Amino acid sequence: MSRPVYLDHAATTPVDPRVAAAMARCLTAEGEFGNPASASHAFGDAAAALVETARAQVAASVGAAPDEVVWTSGATEANNLAIFGVAEYYGESGRHIVTARTEHKAVLDPCRELERRGWRVTYLAPDGGGLIQPEQVAAALQADTVLVSIMHVNNEIGVIQDIARIAAICAQHDSARLHVDAAQSAGKCPIEFATLGVDLMSLSAHKVYGPKGVGALLMSRGGGAAGGSRRESVQMRARQFGGGQERGLRAGTVATHQVVGMGMAFELAREALQTEATRLTPLRERLWQGLAALGGALRNGDARHSVPHLLNVSFEGVEGESLLAAVRGHLAVSTGSACTSALREASYVLRALGRGDVLSESSLRFGLGRDTCERDIDAAVAAVGQAVSRLRRLSGV
Amino acid sequence: MNYNEVTLAYFENTPAAGVLLGPGILRGAAGNRAHGTWVQFDLQVDARMVQAARFLAFGCPHTIAVAAWVAERAPGGELRAALPESVAQLSERFAVPVEKRGRLLIIEDAWLACVRGEPQVHRGNLE
Repeated sequence: MSRPVYLDHAATTPVDPRVAAAMARCLTAEGEFGNPASASHAFGDAAAALVETARAQVAASVGAAPDEVVWTSGATEANNLAIFGVAEYYGESGRHIVTARTEHKAVLDPCRELERRGWRVTYLAPDGGGLIQPEQVAAALQADTVLVSIMHVNNEIGVIQDIARIAAICAQHDSARLHVDAAQSAGKCPIEFATLGVDLMSLSAHKVYGPKGVGALLMSRGGGAAGGSRRESVQMRARQFGGGQERGLRAGTVATHQVVGMGMAFELAREALQTEATRLTPLRERLWQGLAALGGALRNGDARHSVPHLLNVSFEGVEGESLLAAVRGHLAVSTGSACTSALREASYVLRALGRGDVLSESSLRFGLGRDTCERDIDAAVAAVGQAVSRLRRLSGV
Repeated sequence: MNYNEVTLAYFENTPAAGVLLGPGILRGAAGNRAHGTWVQFDLQVDARMVQAARFLAFGCPHTIAVAAWVAERAPGGELRAALPESVAQLSERFAVPVEKRGRLLIIEDAWLACVRGEPQVHRGNLE
């Protein structure tokens, strides 16, 4: 039996063979296996040089400076480090945070934890297309707001938030730092960290053909900003201790092979960014047109402000778990619901957009990638079409 | 979510799916699509013996599979209020997680509504 068509690139991507080869060279005795913190011998020096090369590659791919990159185990850790790190550092000057209802759980859960510790959090509601208007951020800021956390591209529906305008608003505020979860956009959308006006940005390697288990937090060292003058460089309290690596912000031996993989993956992604965007946009539209022709298909997220690699669609008259089970043999996609137990929970993102529970559960997220071609798109349309028709017939709709 | 072989077979093949048409067909339904689960049974009965059965279902693979199995088993048997197996037995046969067993009660309610139902006036054929 052939493997299903993989259209879940928004969840993860396969490691690029060139990335895997570079990583492998850091693992064995013949390669650069040294501890990058071992400054007393050549093995350590060689590993440290690779780590710094990777740091420069990641920084260059998003328009940041190398010394603004702090390695983490992924975007979840980067989000946690940003939110708790800022909260703990600036907590005496303010205890209010602004975020959005549609953020990833890696942002929402830390915010909820801070609420349990006495912080106040404002959760902005998106419009029906999933967008947060910058004016909403401005209205939500309070005198003691210390952090605004708004994602660049939503991981479920692919809408792009207007980070530059939000950054300009935060820059005018006395104390609000801006954190952006860019796990779904870095390597896929143009990002110029140095001029965007963002204080903190979370990155992930495995969304762009790098390895799982590595990411980074960009920490602005201050300077220019779009739409306003940025304040001093952002400060944070460390979350873990024990070696002083990463300027004391993230202790622990840096995993040379992981960061080398991330560095190369980001460099390759930057090189391919424009051509991939140009190639994927018509493929995504071909997919949407094919699904729309089934009838009762509702596109989730504002299509005018969305990334080329992601499409989210709800299907009327079908139950979500059955839809996923029916396409599973043909198609690897995600659903708009989370399996927290045997029972499914409707997507909180789609519910925030105003979709009801049944439509939220009956959504599929299609994540297109470098290997996605027209044949895959047509196969996806055929598989979903067959499943939707059968389930609607079964349900008497 | 993983499903056992019986569930997958009945979900994928759905024997006895559809509706019955003609005089004297019993029809009963339970549940609500807006709440995620809805099941309908049609029975053709002669001298209290089930001659034919069909089902429609909106729900998870377990719901569809169990409804299909019940409808497939019904012909040839006496018209009875009880399902061919108890909810506990069906749970075991189809490996229905405990959190989803309420959906089997909806299937049971649909069956009861059908057995007790008035003969239907039909609106169309979905087969």
